[in-house]
Amino acid sequence: MITLDEITIVRDGREVIYDYSEQIPAGSITVIVGPNGCGKSTLLSAIAGDIAPDKGTITIDELHPILTPAKELSRIRAMAIQNQSFTLGFTVRQIIEMAGEADLVMQQLALVEIADRVVTTLSGGEAQRVAIAQAIAQNTPVLLLDEPLAAQDVSSRRRIIELLQSLAEKGVTVVVVAHSDESDLAWADKVIKQFH
Amino acid sequence: MKRIALFVVLVLSAVAAMSVGATQVDGFWSALVSPGSNEIIWQIRFPRVMAALIVGAAVGIAGLMAQGACNNAVAEPAILGTAAGASLGAVVGIATGVAQVGSLSAVLCGTLGALLATTITFKLAALRGALSSFTLIIVGIAVSAIFTSLVGITAAVVNRADARSISFWSLGSLALVTNENLIGVLITTIVGATIAWFVAPMLDRLSLGDQTAFHLGVNISQVRLLALISLSLLAGGAVSTVGVIAFIGLAAPHIARFIFGPSHRALIVYTGFIGALIVVCADTLSRTIAQPNELPIGLATALIGAPVLIALVTVKNNVWRTP
Repeated sequence: MITLDEITIVRDGREVIYDYSEQIPAGSITVIVGPNGCGKSTLLSAIAGDIAPDKGTITIDELHPILTPAKELSRIRAMAIQNQSFTLGFTVRQIIEMAGEADLVMQQLALVEIADRVVTTLSGGEAQRVAIAQAIAQNTPVLLLDEPLAAQDVSSRRRIIELLQSLAEKGVTVVVVAHSDESDLAWADKVIKQFH
Repeated sequence: MKRIALFVVLVLSAVAAMSVGATQVDGFWSALVSPGSNEIIWQIRFPRVMAALIVGAAVGIAGLMAQGACNNAVAEPAILGTAAGASLGAVVGIATGVAQVGSLSAVLCGTLGALLATTITFKLAALRGALSSFTLIIVGIAVSAIFTSLVGITAAVVNRADARSISFWSLGSLALVTNENLIGVLITTIVGATIAWFVAPMLDRLSLGDQTAFHLGVNISQVRLLALISLSLLAGGAVSTVGVIAFIGLAAPHIARFIFGPSHRALIVYTGFIGALIVVCADTLSRTIAQPNELPIGLATALIGAPVLIALVTVKNNVWRTP
């Protein structure tokens, strides 16, 4: 269970999230939707422990992400950021293996054929799938994904959604940020549209 | 196969470097297999070639640490101010009579100077929040310029021959290295490389950016601090013994990355080998090309390393991509 308790987050002098409370149940898929700049990625980063709320608290079960050492936190939550950039010429397999076991998730996300490709040569959609695969390979009870469907074709979108559903069935708490253009959200257990 | 070839070329280059010099040594091969039997081989050329191997490896790995910690392709000890800081530490230690060139105390002074300059660069670059690569490089160049200027002033003001010249501190020389001088730089190289070995897997993750590295469990500030200490030990020991040798810290990691891939732990070994190879070849060139005069080794390292780096970047440019 992820609990947001009266949190306020100020970015560049603007309250992007104000006095917001929410409970995200374990073993479910929650989608945060909204237009650009509404603070949905900020909210995800706060849950991940990247930034501290200016007011209020965030807990994953009993644990405060912002107060938890990086190593311990990496066993609780994984996150794939939007537009993951790769500077060095690691292969797709090497990137995923930095987080954990690669073979299964590469099959699930159709990455086997490009397993030995150098990541600096990937397209935007492929790079995003590698970032998602890396987060899933981390094998944590909480999985946070920032716009995982944005650069995907229809079959990749379906594949990713089915994988997230199977993870949620196994007890993983999945939180996904999606753009407001995302019309069909039937695959989500919960949709958050307002956090002000 | 590539690994074996590199090792063989390095050994052959070291043996060739021992065999050439101002004086022709009769019975070279028999002298080579009898340590101490020939004064020119074992008291002059051996320490020089060993210093080239150790210093080349140290500066190469220092460059790898700098690039990995900053996640920046152009970071290296000379750019971050580390090399100039080491020079100032050593020259101040020597000028004040605390240390002699190549001694353990000079190595300690050089390492402290390197640590000071690198810390100043990192602290100033992070004054306005998150560490930006662009700010880091600009601040590093400025800090390096200030420390280099202070080295020149100190070397000019102090009337001691053993404080060496500004040319020594800025372009390097292995001409006066003795067997005793090898101890200090060997210690800093082993300790620095060991720290680098432990921090290497974290640098792989850091290449994905600070945010993703943190998500993967990397303690960013701790990893940067360890890499900074490793970098300062490696560059500080090398510079305080033979002066600043240009280009190795930049070229050796890139050449190793082009040939052997991006994994930092493997690169520690290969960057060390390639750095050592370039410095051995450059030193041999610098003392034979214009006999009886000797060129500063920094000129030769740039002459050898730069074309190789240009060729590799031009032919195969997908190893390091700037986001």
